[in-house]
Amino acid sequence: MSTNGAAGRIQIDGVAKQFGDLRVFQDIDLAIGEREIVSIVGPSGCGKTTLLRCIDGLVQPSEGEIRIDGAKVTEPPRGVAVVFQHFGLFPWKTVYENVAYGLRLAGAPKDQIAESVARHIELVGLKGFDKAYPYQLSGGMQQRTGLARALATDPHVLLMDEPFASIDAQTREILQFELLRIWESRPMSMVFVTHSIEEAVLMGDRVVVLRGRPSSIHEVIETGLPRPRTRDVLSSPRFNEVREQVWSLLMHEAEQAERELQEVR
Amino acid sequence: MASVPHEVAIPRTYGVSARTQRTFLRIATGVILLVLWEVLVRWLAPPFVARPVTVARALPHVLANHLPPGTPTFWGAAEATVVASAEGLAIGIVGGVLVGLTMGRLRTADRLLRFYISTFFAMPIIALVPVMTLWFGYSSTVRLYIVALGAFLPICLNVYDGTRSLPASFVEVAQSYRARWWNVWFGIALPASLPYLLAGFKLAVGRVLVGAVVAEYIVNLKGLGSYIVFDSRTFHQPEMMVAVLFLALLGVSVNAAADLATRRFLPWYRRSE
Repeated sequence: MSTNGAAGRIQIDGVAKQFGDLRVFQDIDLAIGEREIVSIVGPSGCGKTTLLRCIDGLVQPSEGEIRIDGAKVTEPPRGVAVVFQHFGLFPWKTVYENVAYGLRLAGAPKDQIAESVARHIELVGLKGFDKAYPYQLSGGMQQRTGLARALATDPHVLLMDEPFASIDAQTREILQFELLRIWESRPMSMVFVTHSIEEAVLMGDRVVVLRGRPSSIHEVIETGLPRPRTRDVLSSPRFNEVREQVWSLLMHEAEQAERELQEVR
Repeated sequence: MASVPHEVAIPRTYGVSARTQRTFLRIATGVILLVLWEVLVRWLAPPFVARPVTVARALPHVLANHLPPGTPTFWGAAEATVVASAEGLAIGIVGGVLVGLTMGRLRTADRLLRFYISTFFAMPIIALVPVMTLWFGYSSTVRLYIVALGAFLPICLNVYDGTRSLPASFVEVAQSYRARWWNVWFGIALPASLPYLLAGFKLAVGRVLVGAVVAEYIVNLKGLGSYIVFDSRTFHQPEMMVAVLFLALLGVSVNAAADLATRRFLPWYRRSE
């Protein structure tokens, strides 16, 4: 089922990526709406992070094209921000300076930077940590800073590259719901790459399952879960149903890979 | 489970803090060396050889510039050496940062230059002083080139190392925020390389002082180098030793200042000490 085909804020058409002889993914067609969260799951090495980089224009696709608001992506577009798995904070900058980074590069006026940075530091719950350096923060707090830095540029597209993968389980859950809360207050297009099935289902309006080698879109599942999403969602029958569906799709792949390995032996 | 005799692992401090103890041991070594110097010179050397007591006695009139007429004044010489060294360091830092960043970020520049810069770094620059006197005459230009090169080479190679070890993730983050190349060079690569730059600076200080003093010896420029040559040839050894100790103190304090600046201004860079 393809939603908002024409109204898609992000339009991905026939995209493939090849590194030398290695074809990572192919035939990717996807449209992502203006206030939609699309999760992308797949086994490690399926190229989901590379696809995200293509959407941000950090990497150019080998085939096909990606358009955001109608404009072909050839370099990181304005209004698109990425939250990285490795946080990507600059260790020589304080929380304040890290959050201000995007605005400073964009040449925003000083008072606007001060206002926006303060507001976003508070939004992610880091008030009082303006002058702290990344090494003084826990992983969760570092990613809160990364999120504030992305949001401070006031993006209409947020690209999440396994943002909570290197954060401990409890903090991860807290951050997931905080992100959902923030999204409710300012809905935008979000692409959420993750290897956690639960996370993909919890965040997404749709879950895109990548499979195969080279990988392609195997299935797009509408989660049909209500928003705003609260912790109750986790125990709802629909959540479990979708989770099992995604799980069986991915497990099938894992088992097949295992069997192929056995045959080789 | 066997009990671990942990009390064995705790160093005994006899109620004195470990730091006081370390300082005490350091001073004790110094005192022993001074006493040995004094005793050995008195015992074995001719009377004009400097020893701690004569150096200490020479100190007041050297520092007050009360020297025999015709001999170079200490502070005049010190000023000439310090100013030339500072100029060399300044040129070396600016040039080293620019060339180091360029080699670190541009593969072509790396291939063109690094081999030669590494070679010059490995070579004793002061070996060039005699030939430089042919090119530039017996002038302070020679000293300026020597100290500038002495500072440039280690700083350039260290900034290069720092830029090369820049995590690709930093560059990616910068690019995702639409950074241009100059934003990456001076906003990301340079600050990330500051710890390397400081390490290069400390190496540079040593090379600059050696370069300045040797150039002053050979070219006979006003400075601590020629002051030392003059005083040792005219049997003013205690006066000469004051200059040697001053140079040592200068090198040590500039390095200590660099360490202090690291702790003060690069708190994020945690040294493994």
